Amino acid sequence: MRNIRAVAANTFREAVRDRVLFNLVFFALLMMAAAILVGQISIGIEKDVIISLGLTAISVIGILIAVFLGVALVSKEMDKRTLYALLAKPVHRWEFLLGKFFGLVMTLTVNTAAMAAGLYAALWSVKHPLAPTDIYILVAVYLILLKLAIIVALALLFSCFTSPFLAILFTTGLYVAGLFAADLRTIQTIQMDPATLRLMQGISYLLPNFQNFNVMAAVVHAQGIPASLVWNATAYALLYSALVLVTAAVVFSRRNLK
Amino acid sequence: MNRRAILGALFIVFLAAGFVCVWKLQAKIDQERSAMQLEREDLALRSPGVMKTLSLEYAPLMAALYWTRVVQYYGLKHQMHDQHLDLLWPLLDITTTLDPHLIVAYRFGSTFLSDAPPRGAGKPDQAVALLERGMQANPDYWRFYQDLGNVYYFDKKDYLKASEAFEAGGKFPGTPPFLKIMAAKIAAEGESLETSYALWTNIYQTTADKNVRKNAEEHLRLVKAEMDLRELNRLADEYEKKTRRRAASINDLVVTGLLPGQPRDPDGFAYVIGESGKAEIHAKSPLREDWLRERK
Repeated sequence: MRNIRAVAANTFREAVRDRVLFNLVFFALLMMAAAILVGQISIGIEKDVIISLGLTAISVIGILIAVFLGVALVSKEMDKRTLYALLAKPVHRWEFLLGKFFGLVMTLTVNTAAMAAGLYAALWSVKHPLAPTDIYILVAVYLILLKLAIIVALALLFSCFTSPFLAILFTTGLYVAGLFAADLRTIQTIQMDPATLRLMQGISYLLPNFQNFNVMAAVVHAQGIPASLVWNATAYALLYSALVLVTAAVVFSRRNLK
Repeated sequence: MNRRAILGALFIVFLAAGFVCVWKLQAKIDQERSAMQLEREDLALRSPGVMKTLSLEYAPLMAALYWTRVVQYYGLKHQMHDQHLDLLWPLLDITTTLDPHLIVAYRFGSTFLSDAPPRGAGKPDQAVALLERGMQANPDYWRFYQDLGNVYYFDKKDYLKASEAFEAGGKFPGTPPFLKIMAAKIAAEGESLETSYALWTNIYQTTADKNVRKNAEEHLRLVKAEMDLRELNRLADEYEKKTRRRAASINDLVVTGLLPGQPRDPDGFAYVIGESGKAEIHAKSPLREDWLRERK
């Protein structure tokens, strides 16, 4: 546990040193521009625009960080040969992977929390006081964070056995496919033979269903999010990340690092 | 068995058990999300122009995706017996803007935009607009005139325009004589069960879309039942003339030799004589609901 914590803390520090959190400046500028412009370009839906734009930006920026940094977590250590020095110490390979995972998730948590604060500030400047239903934005942000955790786990898995470029492609591809996982299950409305249909439905359960974490439409329209949905989405993210991380650990433990 | 093999087996068991749990969780989440009616009922971007711009050079691909969504949307609504097809027009609008040559979208769209609920959206004006757009983008495709004629005939009940549309379609080289026949028949008679039957039969025989064919088949069954009822009422009138009393049941017509046997509707249910003395579809027949709706 101590090893994992040490690797995680180092990963977080490294991300800060690499100026990853600079993206917050971009987010702040975007939110400020939106807050100023929204009154002129949208009539009656200023708040909706701010919330949807803010949540979209949090999601997109988070995904970019999760994919690109997630893939670099292992490959960078190998390129710089720092991995060999680290594994020479009493640190298991799986501990290294878990540490990297938690370190990046920590970075994303700090980043997402800062962006959520920025979103609330922009919202307040457009319409104050804030409505009690605005608390749901936090739920949406939390669900985005869960989605990012799965993406980090996937990026780690792919970076364990392929080149960084391919790992980025695979992770991004799986993310896009995961957005359509639910559609694979409802595809029975189109005429299709039963075997293909069953195959599609089977694949849909293997793919990470990223739509599980998308409550933007509900939050924008101040619709409540049931606690059970949040619990189940949390359980889903934990379980799916665990499955991917265990697979990554198995793959990484068998990888020839010479 | 060595340690490595045991670990490998454990790993596979772990993955299998994990994905079973993922499946169970997903079913719960699906249930909750459908109860919330989340974004599936929402169309974030309703502007076809903006959509086309955002699609960059991939507009046809986007059109294909939107077309898939149109079919899924209609299929799901139909499955859930939901009569509100509010997103059908915006989805078709975007699809045909992204790809103005997607013939199937115009033909499917015009059928289900114009048809009355619960089969369609009951918006024939939008169907006409969609078809006119299709004609402009695909001026050589004569079947749009046939579809336009169908919309005017069945849903707008504008027989002059229906006849004109069939007439215009018939002028294209190589079109079947059916169009000219229909143009003349509608101009002379307006609406008749025989014309409706001929039109639906043609749709049934010529469409490649299974949804459209199924819809035509349902209409055909209903029109056939209407024709049967008309004939039964004619025989009931004849019976009344002969016996000076109205037939109380179909059996009365059989006993007097006016009918060779008990006639049945296309779903196999016997016709009945209602309290008003007119022939009706059996209360248990699946056709009855549609028939009552049409009568209204």
